[in-house]
Amino acid sequence: MSIKYTAKVIEHFKNPHNIGTIEHADACATEGSPACGDEITVYLKIDPATDRIEDVKFQSYGCASNIATGSIITDLAKGKTLDEAEAITWKQAADELGGLPPVKMHCSVLAVDGLRSAIRQYKKEHKGIDYDTTLDVKTVTDELRHVLWPPIGADIITLKLVKYVGIDQGAVTVEISINADEKYLDPTIEEIIEHVSKIRGVKSVNVENV
Amino acid sequence: MIYLDNFRSTMVAPEVWDAMHTVAATDYAVPAAFTQCGTEAAELIERAQARLASAIGATPGEIVFTGSGTESINIAVLGTVRAQTDNAPEVVTSEIEHPATLAVCKALEKQGCKAHYLRVDAEGRYDLDQLASVINEHTAMVSLMAVNHMIGTVEPIAEAGEIVAHASARIGRKIPYHIDFASALQTQRLGVDTVKADLVSFSSNKVHGPKGVGALYVRKGTGTRPISFGAESYSVLAPGTPNTMGIAGFDKATELLYAAFDEDVARMRALRDHLANGIIERIPHILLNGPDGEGRSASHLCYSFLFIEGEAIMMFLDMEGIIVDTGSACAAATLKPNYVLMAIGRNHEQAHGSIRFTLSRYTTQADIDTTLEKLVPIVERLRAQSTIKPTAH
Repeated sequence: MSIKYTAKVIEHFKNPHNIGTIEHADACATEGSPACGDEITVYLKIDPATDRIEDVKFQSYGCASNIATGSIITDLAKGKTLDEAEAITWKQAADELGGLPPVKMHCSVLAVDGLRSAIRQYKKEHKGIDYDTTLDVKTVTDELRHVLWPPIGADIITLKLVKYVGIDQGAVTVEISINADEKYLDPTIEEIIEHVSKIRGVKSVNVENV
Repeated sequence: MIYLDNFRSTMVAPEVWDAMHTVAATDYAVPAAFTQCGTEAAELIERAQARLASAIGATPGEIVFTGSGTESINIAVLGTVRAQTDNAPEVVTSEIEHPATLAVCKALEKQGCKAHYLRVDAEGRYDLDQLASVINEHTAMVSLMAVNHMIGTVEPIAEAGEIVAHASARIGRKIPYHIDFASALQTQRLGVDTVKADLVSFSSNKVHGPKGVGALYVRKGTGTRPISFGAESYSVLAPGTPNTMGIAGFDKATELLYAAFDEDVARMRALRDHLANGIIERIPHILLNGPDGEGRSASHLCYSFLFIEGEAIMMFLDMEGIIVDTGSACAAATLKPNYVLMAIGRNHEQAHGSIRFTLSRYTTQADIDTTLEKLVPIVERLRAQSTIKPTAH
C-alpha cells in the first residue's frame, strides 16, 4: 500500500510557515518527547487588550507531517482569539492540509496539543483560569482521546479499543483490547503511557491488553 | 537520480537486461527433454547453477533458483526444521536478522518451535558464546547472516560455523547451518566449506540482477524438504515453471559481479570512505551505527544525525533526487524505531535520526560530492528548526 503526503503537506514541510521562536513570548509550551519520536514547541505573543494571537511560532523535532502540522496550526491560530484558537481541532488541521495518512494523524494531535498547552499556560498565568484537573476516570478517558489508532487515524476511545480505566491512589490501569499480533500494539501502549503519565497526580500507568 | 539505497535493491545492469530480453523474446522455452529449445533452456539453468556454484565452492546441483531471497530463506529455515524428527525443535538465529528470517522464526514459534535470538554487541557482532551455549540436542538448525542490512556489520560467520560444527560433533548429529548472504554478495567472497555452511540464501536484485529471483545453496545430504509443491522441472525445492528470464538475468549479474570483484569493492570502499569523511568533517553531532573500517561492508554507511528526524532528512534528499533509507520510527510502517539500531543500544532518539547510505559499483565520485553538498544544508536547516539543541560542553 502506498503511503504518501498531499502536495500541501509537502509544501508546508518544504517551506514551513511561522517556524522559529519568539523572544519574550507570552507563552511557550512543548508537547511530545524525543523518546517518542516527535516534539513540538509553540510560542505565542498575545495582545492583552483583545486576547488575540498577534504572533505564533513553532519548532519541531519530527517528521514531515510533524513540521507540516506545526506550520498549519500556527497559520490557523494567528490572528484568532485565545478561545477561537483553543477550539481548533486536529481534524481541522489535517483537513486544511488536504488530509494526512492515518498512520500520521497523531502528528496533528501533537501539534494541536502544543498550541492548546501554550494557550492554557497563558490563560492560567494571565487570567487565573485553572486547568488543573482532578485525577478521575473522565480525565483519563479524555486524555486517551488524544491517542490515535494508527491504521485508522481515529482515537482509541471512539474506536472502543479501551475496555476499562481504573485508578487506585494514583496508579492508573488502562485495559485495551487489541489483537496481540497487531504491529501497532507496542507503539500504542507507549503512547497511552506517555499521555496518561502527564496527568497531574498519576504515579504509575499500567496498560493491559485483555 | 543518485541511488544510495542499494542494500534495498539495485539497478538492473544493462548487460543483464540484454540477457533477459533475449530469453524473453527468443529463448523462451522451458526445460524439456529431447527438444532443442527445451534442452537449451535446461542448459541455461545449468550454466547459471555452475557459475554461482563455482563462485562459492559448491557443485552445480547444490544450487536452486527461487523467487526471491525471502523465498530462499523460507525454504532454508522452514524446509530444514520440518525435516527434523524432534518433537520440540529449536532454531537459533539472532535479534538483528533480516525481517524475512525473523518472520519465519516467529511463524515457527507459533507452531510450537522454540527460537533463540542471539544478542549482539554495540557494533552488531553476534555473541558467539551465547551461540555455543544455546545449541542443544533439540536444535533443528542455526540461521545467521553474513552482513547486516541496517548497520553493515560483517558477521563472524566462519567462527559461528566452527561452533555449529563442534556442537554437531558433541551432539552426534549434523545441525544444519544457514547463512543469509543477500546483503553480503555485493562485497564479500564466500566459500561454503570455509564457513561450514549447509544452506546459503542469495538475492539477485542486490547485485544488479532482476527482482523476483533468488538462489539457495543446499549442501548435498542436507535434508531440506520442499515447502511448496508442483511439477518438478529441475528441483524438488523449486517446483513449477522456472523463471528462465530471471535466472538468465541473475546469471549475467553473477558474471558481472565477479568480472572485476576486487576492483569494484575497492572503489566502493574508497567512495564510501569519501562520503564518511565528508560527513565527519562537515556535520557535527553524529553517531556511526555499526563498525568502522574492515568490520563493515565496503558499500555501507549508516549515521545517526542527532537532534533531527530521519524521515525529514530522507524526504529532503529525495526532493534533490538522492535516495537513502532511514531507521526512523516515523518512516516505518510499524511506527517503531529500527530493531537493529535498538539491538546495538541506540535509544529511540538516536534511531530516529539514522540515515543509511548504500553504494553500488555504479556510484560515482560526483554522486558522493553532490550528496554531501545537499546533505549538509538539509541537516543544518532541520537542526535550526528543531526543538532539541546540542547541550553546551
